[in-house]
Amino acid sequence: MTEPEQPETKPASRPNPDPESGEVNLFSAEFAGCPQPVYRGLVQKCPVAHQTFTGGKVLSRYEDVLWALRNPQIFSSEMEMQLALGTERPMIPQQIDPPGQTKYRKVLDPRFSKKRMLELAPDVRRHANELIDSFIDAGSCEFDQAFAVPLPCTAFLSLMGLPQSELPFLLRLKDGIIRPQTLLDGEPTMEESQACRVQTGKDIYAYFEEVIDERVRKPGSDMVSYLLETEIGGHKLSREDILDVSFLLILAGLDTVTATLGCNIAYLASNPAQRERLVADPALLPAAVEELMRWEAPVTAVPRIVREDFTLHGVAFKAGEMVSLQIGAANLDDEEFGDALNVDLGRVRNRHMAFGGGPHRCLGSHLARMELQVAMEVWHERVSSYSIAPGETPVYSPGIREVTHLPLVWPAA
Amino acid sequence: MKLRVDLDKCTGHGRCYDLAPELFDEDEAGHCVLLHAKVPAGLEPKARVAADNCPEEAIQTTA
Ligand code: HEM
Ligand code: SF4
Repeated sequence: MTEPEQPETKPASRPNPDPESGEVNLFSAEFAGCPQPVYRGLVQKCPVAHQTFTGGKVLSRYEDVLWALRNPQIFSSEMEMQLALGTERPMIPQQIDPPGQTKYRKVLDPRFSKKRMLELAPDVRRHANELIDSFIDAGSCEFDQAFAVPLPCTAFLSLMGLPQSELPFLLRLKDGIIRPQTLLDGEPTMEESQACRVQTGKDIYAYFEEVIDERVRKPGSDMVSYLLETEIGGHKLSREDILDVSFLLILAGLDTVTATLGCNIAYLASNPAQRERLVADPALLPAAVEELMRWEAPVTAVPRIVREDFTLHGVAFKAGEMVSLQIGAANLDDEEFGDALNVDLGRVRNRHMAFGGGPHRCLGSHLARMELQVAMEVWHERVSSYSIAPGETPVYSPGIREVTHLPLVWPAA
Repeated sequence: MKLRVDLDKCTGHGRCYDLAPELFDEDEAGHCVLLHAKVPAGLEPKARVAADNCPEEAIQTTA
C-alpha cells in the first residue's frame, strides 16, 4: 500500500509499540490532579493512543502536535455540532478553519495585543493587593475563591465592558458549559451534563442578545460595541457572529487564567525549594510563568477532526475521526525540551504549547501572560512562605484543570 | 549576525518582542516587526534567545 501524499513537514514515522495498550481516560479527577506520569507514558510509549472517555485518537509527541496545529486542512476545528458545548452554531474563531477564521482574527487580534493588555496591568496589580489585604492577616485562605477566581474575572469583565455585579451570574453560565458537574447534584450522567450545557447555552445567547440590544441603543468603548461597528470585507458582523464570538470569549476568558493561577500556586506550595528560588530571585518570574505553563498545561488538550485519510506511526487515520492533541504531553517531550521532567524556573529555551500554536494560537495569550505575571509577582511579594494546609489535599477538576479546592496557610502577621 | 522573520509563519505569540524588545516590536495585531535585520553588536545572545523561543520557528539567525 502506498501512503497518500503528505505535506513535507509530516513527522517521520515512529514505532507505536502497542496501540491497544494506549487506552487512556484523560477526563478523570485523578488524571487532572497528576497528569505528568500519564503524559510521559504517552510520549515515550504510545505516540498514537486511544481516548476511552470521549473516544477518538490521541496525539502526544511535540512534533506531531505541532504538525497538527499548523495543518488545519488536515486537522480541522469545524466540529460536528452534536459534540458542541451547548452551542447552536460554531464558536468564532475557535471552531472555524482558515481562511474564514483568519478574517475574524484580523479584527480581534488588535483588541488583545500585548500593548493594550499592558494598559490593564496597574488595575490588576491594585486589585491583587486589595484581595490579599482582605485575608493576609488570617494566615490562611482558600486560594481558588479568594484570589484565583476574582482577580482574572474582574479584569476580563472590565475588558469586555460588562458590569462587575454580573460576575456570579456569568460564572454560573461558564461553569454550566465547562463543568456542569459542579452545578448538578450527585454524579450526573453524560446526558444530564449535556442537557445542562444545552440549557446554559440558551441562557448565554439570551444574555448577549440583551447586551447587543443595549449597545445598539447606547454604544460604548466595550467589546460588543466594537464588534457592532466591525466590518469584514465591507460587511458589518451579523448578530449571530457577535453572539458566536461573545460565547467563546466568556468561556475562554472566565476560566483559563483562574485554572492556571491555581495550578501554579499549588505546585509552588508543594515544592518549597522551587518557591524559595523564585522568592529569592524575582527576576526569574517571566521565565517561571512560562515554565509552570509548560509543566501544568491547564488547558490539557485541543480537539480536531480529521479531514483527509493519512497514516502516522503506522496507524491509519480516517476522515471524520476525532483526534485530541495532547498539549500537556507535548510539553513533556524530551526531544523538544531535553530534560522535560526537570521543572527549571529559569529555563532559557521554552517553546511550550500551553497557548496552542498555528492559526488558532490563543487570542487571549497576552492578556493571560500579563495577568499571570502581575498576580504571581504581587502574591510572592506579600505571601512568600505558604504551603498546603495540613491534612488537606488540593482538588483538581477534569477538563480544564482548575484547582477548585486549594487551602493554603502561611505564618500570620 | 543577521535576523530574518518569516511573517507567513508568525502567529503573534509575542515571545520575540517579550524577550528581545531591542530587536523586535509588534504591529497592531501583535505580529512581529523586525527592528534590526543586522543585529547590533552585543545583542547576538538576545537574537538567539528570541529565535529559540518562537513557537512557530518563524525567526532565523545567520552568522
Ligand atoms: C493561561 C490561560 C489560557 C490558556 C492556557 C489558554 C489556552 C488556549 C489554547 C490552547 C487555545 C487553542 C485552541 C485550539 O487550538 O483549538 C486557545 C484559544 C483561544 N483562547 Fe485561550 N487560553 C488562555 C487564556 C485565554 C483568555 C484570558 C482568553 C480571553 C480573551 C482566551 C481566548 C481564546 C480564544 C478566543 C481562543 C480561540 C482562538 C482561535 O481559535 O483563533 N484565552 N487558548
Ligand atoms: S515569537 Fe514568533 S510567532 Fe511570536 S510574534 Fe515573534 S515571530 Fe511571531
